[in-house]
Amino acid sequence: MATAQRPVAPTTHRGVQPLRAGQGNSFLLRKLHSLSGIVPIGAFLIEHLISNFEALKGPAAYAAQVKFLNGLPFVRVLEWVFIFIPLAYHALYGVYIWARGKSNVIYYPWSGNWMYMMQRWTGLIAFAYIVQHVWRQRFSGVNLPEHPGAAFHKVQMELSHPWMLAVYAIAMIATCWHFSYGVWLFAAKWGITPGDKARRRFGFVCAALGVLLTVIGLASLYAFVGPMYKNAPADLSPAQIEQGSMAPAPAGAQVPASN
Amino acid sequence: MAERTVKIEIKRQSSPDSSPHWDKFELPHRPGMNVISAMMEIAANPYTADGKETTPIAYDSNCLEEICGSCAMLINGKARMACTALVDKLDQPIKLEPLSKFPLVRDLSVDRSVLFENLKAVKAWVPIDGTYDLGPGERIFPQVQEERYPLSRCISCCCCMEVCPQFNESTGFVGAATIAQAQLFNEHPAGKVLKEERLHALMGDGGIQECGYAQNCVQACPKQLPLTKAISDVGRDVMVQAVKDAFTR
Ligand code: SF4
Ligand code: SF4
Ligand code: FES
Repeated sequence: MATAQRPVAPTTHRGVQPLRAGQGNSFLLRKLHSLSGIVPIGAFLIEHLISNFEALKGPAAYAAQVKFLNGLPFVRVLEWVFIFIPLAYHALYGVYIWARGKSNVIYYPWSGNWMYMMQRWTGLIAFAYIVQHVWRQRFSGVNLPEHPGAAFHKVQMELSHPWMLAVYAIAMIATCWHFSYGVWLFAAKWGITPGDKARRRFGFVCAALGVLLTVIGLASLYAFVGPMYKNAPADLSPAQIEQGSMAPAPAGAQVPASN
Repeated sequence: MAERTVKIEIKRQSSPDSSPHWDKFELPHRPGMNVISAMMEIAANPYTADGKETTPIAYDSNCLEEICGSCAMLINGKARMACTALVDKLDQPIKLEPLSKFPLVRDLSVDRSVLFENLKAVKAWVPIDGTYDLGPGERIFPQVQEERYPLSRCISCCCCMEVCPQFNESTGFVGAATIAQAQLFNEHPAGKVLKEERLHALMGDGGIQECGYAQNCVQACPKQLPLTKAISDVGRDVMVQAVKDAFTR
């Protein structure tokens, strides 16, 4: 049968090379990138935003949530296997994808093309933010797994710089955007929503998801900078954490806001 | 009464390796003229707007009714078919450039053989060689035919590839047209015998995974192929095939 290869082009190939049928492993890598954005990273994002929402109930409730999460069995293994490693993979492979796409939204200003570009920019923003966030909140300063009571104060100190608050707010929007459009893209590319109508309908679902997550995220930021829990104590004792959301407002809350 | 004219600017290049330049033309307006008929006028009277004699423009065209797919070019910056680009509907001066992602041959003519290579790579055909009588073909249900017909309208113009942000030299992405054609033949009762091979081909480097779902292809396609649906459907088939392979190969 026709086993002979077609003659190889003698000179170097000009233009875009043809499909390398059945060769290479970019399919696996790309699909892993796509999947990792949903689970575990997307799932973790939702968990993180819901946990943050506890901050609205005060420093004690927030500390209790941090303590609960850090009390999960094998928590350090979970952290690396389900958060750090997938995140690093998703981020680095994502940068690789970004670098190879040639955005042309100037010539073709269509909505899908805008979203294509936004998905890349929000991803880059989220990446830059997450690197500093993980470094400053998880790996430097007070070690929160050991001192869950200090969590509220640590975040409050961070957000006390207006520019840092702006960074957090922008990153919050970018991350929620990236995730919710990512869910839409996942459904479209994995063939879950092939039809135009299905894709449009699911678009509304994802938009609603994005708005909801952003609101939850921004609301928890407000818990740290709003008037409710000003000057939260630097650390809470286990007893204070135990009392959870029913604990009296921390001493600092009685001090009238000075600015 | 002053004569109505049409202003056209064309990016020209005499050979693949020479450097490009722009020529300006001013032609008498004719009702209903399109970009190809304008270039026919230039060929008949090859003088630039400032009266210098030049060569006729090199471009591809054939059917003049948007069915052969040969006349795709950038018209005012956008990829489209020149034969259906009515001059009266375009902003002037009309700027014509060759497609930017395909090796240039001359002026507006480019080498789009990459699409042919890609169609071969996914075996976009029904494997019947006609050497002996196979009897009547299997019946195609109207429902299947209705799914397939829109995909069969592809004219291989490469507009969908030109406008795709992922179709470039660093990805070597196969492009939407080939994916749609793989789907067309996967849905054919005799063509589906090669379905697995097509799906395996599309898992290769530059395959369907490179699509970033910007959906430019479906916007630009002059024949309104349901390209995003095809990409989604084939994406699912490829994924299912990959999972099957992982457990059974
Ligand atoms: S959906 Fe976008 S990335 Fe995918 S083939 Fe079409 S234009 Fe290219
Ligand atoms: S799918 Fe549409 S844009 Fe692409 S080559 Fe076919 S006809 Fe042209
Ligand atoms: S000349 Fe055939 S498509 Fe334009």
